Parts: sequence; structure tokens; C-alpha cells
Amino acid sequence: MKTHRILSSALVFGAAFVVSTAALAVASVGQAAPAFTATDTSGKTVSLADYKGKHVVLEWVNPGCPYVRKHYDSANMPGTQKDATGQGVVWLAVNSTNTGAYDYMPPAKLAGWMKDKGGAPTATLMDTDGKVGRAYGARTTPHMYVIDPNGKLVYAGAIDSKATSNPADIKTATNYVKQAVGESVAGKPVSTPVTQAYGCSVKYSD
Amino acid sequence: MPRLTTLIAAPLLLLCAAAAMAATPGPVVKTDQVRAELVAHAPQGLGPGQPMWLGLAIEHQPHWHTYWKNPGDSGLPTTLQWELPAGAAAGEIAWPTPQRLPIGPLVNYGYEGRLLLPVPLTLPADFKAETLAVRLHAEWLVCKEVCIPESGEFALTLNTRSTLAAHAAAFDAAAARRPAELAGVRSAGEVAPGALVVRVDGLPASWHGKALQFFPETAGVIENAAPPAASWQAGTWTARVPLSSQRSAGPDRVAAVLTAPGGANGVQIAFAVAGTWPALDAVPALPEPSAAPAAPAPAGPALGLAAALLLALVGGALLNLMPCVFPVLSLKVLGFANHANDRRALVAGGLAYTAGVVVSFVALAGVLLLLRAGGEQLGWGFQLQSPAVIATLAALFTLIGLNLTGVFEFGSVLPSGLASLRARHPLVDSALTGVLAVAVASPCTAPFMGASLGLAVTLPAGEALAIFAALGLGMALPYLAICVWPALVRVLPRPGAWMAHFRAAMAFPMFATVVWLIWVFGQQTGIDAVAALLSTLVALAFVAWALAAPGVAPKARAVLGTLAVATLVAALSWMVPVLATPAIAGARSDAPAAGSPWQPWSVEKVAELRAAGQPVFVDFTAAWCVTCQFNKRTTLADPAVLADFEARGVVLLRADWTRRDAAITAELTRLGRSGVPVYVIYAPGSGAPQVLSEILSVADVRNALAKL
Repeated sequence: MKTHRILSSALVFGAAFVVSTAALAVASVGQAAPAFTATDTSGKTVSLADYKGKHVVLEWVNPGCPYVRKHYDSANMPGTQKDATGQGVVWLAVNSTNTGAYDYMPPAKLAGWMKDKGGAPTATLMDTDGKVGRAYGARTTPHMYVIDPNGKLVYAGAIDSKATSNPADIKTATNYVKQAVGESVAGKPVSTPVTQAYGCSVKYSD
Repeated sequence: MPRLTTLIAAPLLLLCAAAAMAATPGPVVKTDQVRAELVAHAPQGLGPGQPMWLGLAIEHQPHWHTYWKNPGDSGLPTTLQWELPAGAAAGEIAWPTPQRLPIGPLVNYGYEGRLLLPVPLTLPADFKAETLAVRLHAEWLVCKEVCIPESGEFALTLNTRSTLAAHAAAFDAAAARRPAELAGVRSAGEVAPGALVVRVDGLPASWHGKALQFFPETAGVIENAAPPAASWQAGTWTARVPLSSQRSAGPDRVAAVLTAPGGANGVQIAFAVAGTWPALDAVPALPEPSAAPAAPAPAGPALGLAAALLLALVGGALLNLMPCVFPVLSLKVLGFANHANDRRALVAGGLAYTAGVVVSFVALAGVLLLLRAGGEQLGWGFQLQSPAVIATLAALFTLIGLNLTGVFEFGSVLPSGLASLRARHPLVDSALTGVLAVAVASPCTAPFMGASLGLAVTLPAGEALAIFAALGLGMALPYLAICVWPALVRVLPRPGAWMAHFRAAMAFPMFATVVWLIWVFGQQTGIDAVAALLSTLVALAFVAWALAAPGVAPKARAVLGTLAVATLVAALSWMVPVLATPAIAGARSDAPAAGSPWQPWSVEKVAELRAAGQPVFVDFTAAWCVTCQFNKRTTLADPAVLADFEARGVVLLRADWTRRDAAITAELTRLGRSGVPVYVIYAPGSGAPQVLSEILSVADVRNALAKL
């Protein structure tokens, strides 16, 4: 009943939604994660729907950001990626930096950087028009999301609990993504479902 | 791109600078983006009790900014770590009023240009030193398009013999930029769906009618980029501040700064938040049930009153077929045999029984309506959601069983006055039997009764009570009919010695009922509580036998009675505290066992599965509902039914209402029901769910599945 009504109102107001994408009208934890299709750094098309039935982690990334570097140079992000993919989780790194930004990296360069850092995401997606980022309300790099096999968003927020640029803090911080993935894979509710993401602003296209 | 070189150079330069600073820190740290200086202000000199301030003055390069205590959508607040002589203390940063800094679709809160972050300094009363050495480690994130985390070590030695006023202008300017704490300002806030509703009055008259900015001190609460929907009315500013769709905090108390356009300094407000924050992962509030389309049950809330009354009557009559009413009816069959030759007594007894049934139904409904009015998320069957009620019923049925087997006689335990009253008033006895029948029957919602109850609890109290009265009348009707047409009674066997045997035999259904009640009780509590309850029942049996067994000498009775009562007191003192402790978490009769196809139900789960185009079957059940358990072990365990479920890819969800559960109660209400069992099939794509019969047959389910 409810779904039906939502569908019909979506049809009626669909046009309005399309026009107003500028606003961050976005994903909420506890609700269905917005569907998306994007191209990865090798030019392959990737859809969230491809991974139905699996856990999916989304990571907003931009190598120009010191907070992203904090977690890559320390091997924290690659480690978290391997930990997740080792449990059968799909990890999608998303770069929503616009092509005009000073630190925009073209796909090949981004792929190379990811490889150099030992990053092991399932795919690295180019979202230069910021559609995916805006749909999820991604504000910072890094900004992390966990989606459960039913397509429900179960975590949104920071990579860990210490909002600093100091890599030494990683050791004593709680890795919220590891925690959320572990709990969700074990079929438990996520104990910390939403946190305040920290880092650089996502450099969206205007 | 010249900036690129700057960028690469900046961190290097910073590193060199930091290295140099580490050796001999001074009051100033310079980077390519900021010039930061540790400053002090003591216009009356340094000493205990004097107004004294330390501060970090930051001059940003054009278009660069650092952040407020709540940085907004990204960024980090500047942090200051002081190192002062023993006894001296630096307070919290007195943050100047921030600016809104939009970046694409995001908004940050921070500062550009010249900034001073003042910190109050206190000295111990016995402070006498000639100099005061101050060291500071500061960290700030400076951003333009790029963000650079920077830090600096600062040191400053202050002369305590002279006044310090070199930076008076900067400190005065910072004080002027601090949000004003105005005496007349009163603020309040309340959590509403999707928004924090803020109401402020006593703001400066020059602000009236203007669009104000709202800066909350806690990050992660509001949608920073969305402007609040605000209005002015008689000097009161009311705003619906949109909550973040990924809200990460729900503060009990909100402190915030308000600013008017053009004014540099804001006004400080702080208020306790009324209402409760939804859980961080809560799905936004469901539409009100009243706004939902008519429930899909064939006899749903759209039911007219006359039809509902009729259905209630029929449903009530069908209640007699429910397994949980059976033992009580057996008692009444005894009554028939006793009075078969006395038509007047039969009719009177029948009417008394009817009155007992109807009055109990109305009384229960009245209680339910009162509790509903009190906001309790309860539904029909709620009596059996309380372990204390179950324990009491188990004790009652044990006593009835013992009485039937002849362990004790009521005549000898009741005061003689009361006993003769009962003997002289068989009508009272009949009426009480009616009450008992209702108490036991209520959780078994027969077909139609669900719809009637669903309607009843949403109706005005008068009409609702009429429906419950009709239910009661329906339940008593078959019995009343037999009373009026004694021909039916004559079909029953003549009274005789068989009656004593029959009476004793009837004890076993009673004991079986006790087993069921204890099973329900165990689902709600745990094995310890069950042991306590069983001990209490044993002690109770002891008391009944000791005090009221026929043919016991008075002296022996006194001794045994004392012993028995002591045992009962001991058992109760074990059970009552056990009952008072919270139930073990997750004690559910229907918790899915490993490998079970059933998954726990939730509104979100159904919505998701339906959104994904999956057919869904929901079993609304409870341990105390015999009909539910019967269906669960027969139809829902039928291999053909399970094979059909699997063949059609139906996801099986189970909603367990054994204990109170607001979400399940709300969903039952939406389905137009207020009791269990309810079986619902959601076909993929089709709008309305299909509600199946409470007495679930294999054919019903398979037919419904065939239509998917």
C-alpha cells in the first residue's frame, strides 16, 4: 500500500525531482540506498543493482585531500578494503571531484594512484558530474556508506572516530566501517549507524 | 598552473617551518595560508581575579578559511592545547560568530579574514611569579578549494609586572563578534518529523521580519545547506530547521547562534529539546493510518456498524469452537446435566452466563479503550502479554483442576456464608463461569472477530462497546439457545455416577491448559521464572489440600495448613522478584531457528522486499495464541504449502506479538485488525495485500499462492 503510494507520487512528482537535483535530497540510513550506474576507471559500467544480494561499501575518495591521504598512506583504507572484500563485500570507491578542480585525477591516473597505495576496491568509479555523490549526500572525502544485501543503507558517516589529520590517531580510533560491515555481515543491526563524516569537501561540479 | 607549485611547496615549507619552530617556538607561525599568532590581553595586569585572556589570532590569506566549533558539512574546528604553569588554567574558546561558507551544494561554518579565538585565563590566588610562560599547540584546517591541515607550536613569556594591552583592539573586536547573550531572549525547540522547530522571542527589534541564519553548535544535526522555513509573528521567530537525512546526533540540549543579515555578531540561544529524536537509522515517520487507503481485509475498517455488529455476533458464536474455550464449556455441560429437569433454572442460568460473558467483554473493551486513550500501544490479547496475568491464570486453572479431581472442596475452604451464597445463588456461579470463559477466549480471535475488533478500537467508545457486547452475546448464544429449548438438553445423558467421573476427567483439560499457560509464561520470561511458577503451583496445591481436603482432623489441618502456607510464602517470595526482573532479551517463541525459512518481520523489510518485486507472506503470531500455534504446526508446516512458497520465491516473515511490540500493533491496526493470528500475502506489484482466514487451511494458502 505504502510502496504503491510512494510509487505513484514519485510518478506524479518525478519531473519536479529531476529538476531539483541541485538540492542534497538524499539517502537516509534505514532506507533503500539510491540506485546508480557509473563508469569505473577502466571504462566499465558498474551499477549498484549488479551487486544485489551482497554487502556494498561506498567510499568517497579524492587523492588530493589530506584526509584521504591520511587513510591511504597509513594503509588504513586499503586494509579496511581488503578486510571487507575478504568477507565477500563489494567495495566501490567513488570520486565525485569535478574535472575542473585542481586535484581532479583522470581515470587512468586515479587507477594508478590506487594501485600505488595498495588500494583494493572492487572498482573505482568516476562520478565527475557528482550525481552519485549528491544522491548519497556525500559531503567529505572520505565519506563512507555501507549497504546491506537487501539494498538498505545501514551506515553513513566517517571512516573512524578520530576526526583529525594525524595518522597516529588511527590506532586508537574505532573504525566505524569495519564495525558496520562486521555487524551487518553477521546479521546484526549496526550499532553506530550514522556518524559525522570528516575530511575535505567533495569538490562537486557546479 | 602556478597554484600547483604553491601546493607542492606549501607542505614542504610548512614542514621546514614546523621543524624550525620545534626548536625555538615563538609567538608567530606563518604558513602560505595563514599567519597565526599567540597573543595575550590583560588590561589590568596579570594577577588572580583580573580579566585576562589568551588567544590565537589568525590572519587568513584571501578566500581561505578556518572553521567554527561546528564546521558544517566538512572541515574541522580549530583546536588549542595549552601548556601553562601549575595552577594557571585556560578556558574554552569564546568562539566569535561564524559565517556561512557555501561550497557547491555544501555549507561550512567558519571564518575568513582576520580572526581571534580568545580563551579566558585564570591564575591561582597565590600566583606571585614575575613571568608567565605560555605554550600552545594549535591545529587548524585551512581550506579554500583545497584543504590543508596545519598545526603550530607557539610560546610566549608574559611579564606579570605590567598591563598587557597591545592587542586590545583585536580582543575588543573579538568580544564584539561574540554572540550576545541577551537577557530578554527566550528560546524553545521541539523535534518534529524531518525538522527541528525552533521558537525564539525577545530578539532585537531591528531583527524583526528579517531572514535569520541558524548555526547549531552540534555538528551532524541539521541539513546545513537547506534554509529553514521561518516566519515572524508578533516578534516571535519560528523556524522549521530541516534535519539532516544522515543525522548523526540527537542532543537533549541545543545551543545555537542566530544572525541577522548584515550584522557581524549573532545572538546566543540554548534550549532543551522537547519531544524525542527518532533513532538515527529510523525510517521517517509513516503516514498516519487514517491517511492510508482502506485496509485490504475483506471486512476492514470500511465496515458499517450494523454489519460489524452482525459479524461480531457470528464471530462470538464461533469462539465456542476455539480450543481455548473448550475446557470452560465442558464445565457448563456439567451444569446442563444438573439442571436438565428444571427449565426455569436452566433459562436463568443461561441468562446469567450470557450476562457474565457480555459484561466481561464490555469491561475488557472498556479497559482496552481507556489504555488506548492513554496512548498505550496495545491490542487485543494484551492481557496475555503480561507474565503476571499468565501466572495468575495458571494458578486459577490449577485450583480448578484440583477441585475437579476432588483434592479439595470449595465448600470447605470458603467461609460458610459465602459457600451458602454460592449454593443459594447458582446464578452468581453461572455469571462467574461466563467471566471465566471470556478471560480464556479473548486471545483466540476467530474469523470476523479480527475485523470487528479492528473497527471497534477505532470507533467512538459507545459504538466500540456495542460491538464488544455483540461479540459476548454471540459467544453466549449457543448456550442460551440450549437453555431455551430444553429438548436439546434432553439429548444429553441423564445425571448419575458418570458425572463424578466426568467431573474428574474434566480436570485434565484444565491441567493441559496450565501446561499451555506455563509454556506461554516461559516464552515471556525464562526457565528460572518457570521453575518459580511451578513451585508456587505446587505450594498452592499443598495449601488447598491441607486446608480444604475432606476428612482431615482439625489438629492435623492446623499443622499441615501452617506448613503449607509457609511453603507458599517461600515460593511466592521466589517468584515475585523473578517476575519483577526484566525478561531475558530475545525470548521469542518464533525466533527463527538456523535453517528456518522464516525471517523476523519488520515494516522496512516488507517495504524493501516489495520494492524488490518479491512476493511476501507474513505470519502475525503469538505464543499465547492457540489458533496461531495450531496453524503454525499444521498448515504452515505442510510440505505442499512450503513447496509452493519455495516454488514461487515467497519470502516468509514472522511477526511475533508474544510480548508487547508497538510496531506490530501499529501494523495490525493498519491491516484493520487488533489481534492475532493474521496471515497476509503481498503479491509482487499488486497494491493491496491479501489477508487470509484466521483458521488457515492448506487449500486457502495454496489457492492464494496460485494467484500470484
